[in-house]
Amino acid sequence: MEVNDLAVTFGTRRKQSRALDGVSLEWRRGEVLGIVGESGCGKSTLARAMLGLQETSAGEVVLDGHDASGRSEKRELRRRIQMIFQDPYQTLNPRQRASAIVAEPLVVQGVDKSLHQERIIKSLEDVGLDPATYLDRYPHQLSGGQRQRVAIAAALVLEPEGLICDEPVSMLDASVRSQILTVLMDLQKSRNLALIFITHDLSLAWSLCDRIAVMYLGRVVEAGTAVDVIEKPKHPYTAALVAAVPVPAVGMGTARALLKGELPDATDLPAGCRFNPRCPKVFDGCEKVDPVLTDVAARGQRAACLLYSGADPSGRVTVPPQTVPEDSGVLDA
Amino acid sequence: MKNVLEVEGLRVEYRGRSIVDGVGFSLKPGESLGLAGESGCGKTTTALALMKLLPDGLSQKGSIELTPEGAEEPIRIGKRTEAGMQVVRWRHISLVFQGAMNSLDPVKKIDLQIDEVIRLHEKGCSSKEVKERIADLLTTVGLTPKLGSRYPHQLSGGQRQRVMIALALACRPSVVIADEPTTALDVVMQAQVLELLEQLRRDLGLAMILISHDLAVLVETCDRIAVMYAGRIVETGTIEDVFTNPQHPYTKRLLDSLPVIGGTRGLAPPIPGGPPDPGNPPEGCAFGPRCPYATERCLTVPELREVGSGHAAACHFSPWSSWPEVEAAGLGVRK
Repeated sequence: MEVNDLAVTFGTRRKQSRALDGVSLEWRRGEVLGIVGESGCGKSTLARAMLGLQETSAGEVVLDGHDASGRSEKRELRRRIQMIFQDPYQTLNPRQRASAIVAEPLVVQGVDKSLHQERIIKSLEDVGLDPATYLDRYPHQLSGGQRQRVAIAAALVLEPEGLICDEPVSMLDASVRSQILTVLMDLQKSRNLALIFITHDLSLAWSLCDRIAVMYLGRVVEAGTAVDVIEKPKHPYTAALVAAVPVPAVGMGTARALLKGELPDATDLPAGCRFNPRCPKVFDGCEKVDPVLTDVAARGQRAACLLYSGADPSGRVTVPPQTVPEDSGVLDA
Repeated sequence: MKNVLEVEGLRVEYRGRSIVDGVGFSLKPGESLGLAGESGCGKTTTALALMKLLPDGLSQKGSIELTPEGAEEPIRIGKRTEAGMQVVRWRHISLVFQGAMNSLDPVKKIDLQIDEVIRLHEKGCSSKEVKERIADLLTTVGLTPKLGSRYPHQLSGGQRQRVMIALALACRPSVVIADEPTTALDVVMQAQVLELLEQLRRDLGLAMILISHDLAVLVETCDRIAVMYAGRIVETGTIEDVFTNPQHPYTKRLLDSLPVIGGTRGLAPPIPGGPPDPGNPPEGCAFGPRCPYATERCLTVPELREVGSGHAAACHFSPWSSWPEVEAAGLGVRK
């Protein structure tokens, strides 16, 4: 899937909030892509826009080289790409049994009824739920982790090629969290499923993703392989995010440069680079020039920062296509 | 230095079942203790018991002694009545509730909410004094005093969390308990709030109990840590001891599941299953059914015992000198 210059605007004509402001990304078959950033940076809006769940004001979503904005294309898109959400307490219909929840996508996509039972059972087995026990349960009879498993089973019953996970484990406890992540990563491997992890947990993104895109106020400000972006961040914003991650090791992270303040109002973006009011490395030009993504290092690492710019006069904002390096896959546990 | 808080044999019961059992720890002024564990392990219940704020139906036993600075005799919270607690709560020990940023009164300005707390507990305070205190408090938690004239909905999540911390500090308590203070915040706000708590502890000499399911948060802010599982403390010690040399399989597996940037990528084998049902606890060690190392011996309850100086674990097999490899799906001997 490719996303080109996608923009989403909320609000009235007089007071507009640019939730997405020219985002371009590429998401390859079988790739695990991380989208990270603070609350309100546009991560979830991007995911919704990619699935056509959100009206866009500009840009295009391209699936296999075809624009996916028409009705039948959207239907096709939603069969091939599925999504799961943060809160498994709110996303499951409390009045449906697990079997009905998992069956719903099959009904919507008009899959032959005789195939339903078999596919529901397989899907539940794939996420580690025993069908005999769980088929007839209602959501309130399930724990948080089990609910998230049902949500994943429903998302996978159509055998999609891609799955967008919006903060899939941020509401779950440590031990349940690693169980759910294991389920997702096993499926990713066995089905060559493409995954998007939307998260503010940088250590999680670093540990599981092939590539990462860092968003700030509706823009991608840095993109590259997970290891490059997190271990050798180029954009000052990425560096600040990484510095804010609590380090679970003794004697580390005591003196760190904290990002001051909060995200500016998206209805009133700062002039020039939108990060300049909070940037520790701000200099003269930052208030005047809005930087574009440019190549800053090997393996396609790109950042939108004046520290590195001047190299790309065309002004195009893109995350370049690139081959996923062999060593960036998820390690066998 | 004398302990400001001493808890011994704390037990909370609901209809004869124990929710929290045998919890004990002590706290010196300026020290911070982390309480770690998963949902339902009794962290929040412990916090509420320390404040004597348990909901109806839950009863508590055990001794809780609070000795504020300058006090000769400890305050025996365990024995206090509700009326007796009202002069202790917020004045000497306060609690920042879980999801606190949503527990501000939406129709009152921030100033007024802090004003109410101060006046309720310190009746002799003059209006002018209260006003100054409010401005001071807001400054202490890193907000400009003029934010006081706003309503909660006009503040961001991080700002509201700061207001909640200001409320907890309003009567200058000696002990502050913070229950999941950063869980609802994103990574940048979380770092800011943690930094604030750390700074308050340093500047005001507060003793702090920080409750979190996120071990990475605790390691940055605490001196000591107590890991809870199914209502009991299963391991306790200095942050350094527990993190570099865990002595309980539960702690070990939790630590292994944390991704550390720059360490090994990918996933460690998860802990199978879920925490036990408090109505139907397993025989013996509560972690036994999920423990890859469990044997017959684990059918008796292990005591929390010392394995090193100031380091204790509730496992029959500790001290562990090395940890055998664990299969991804490896369940213990018994199911």
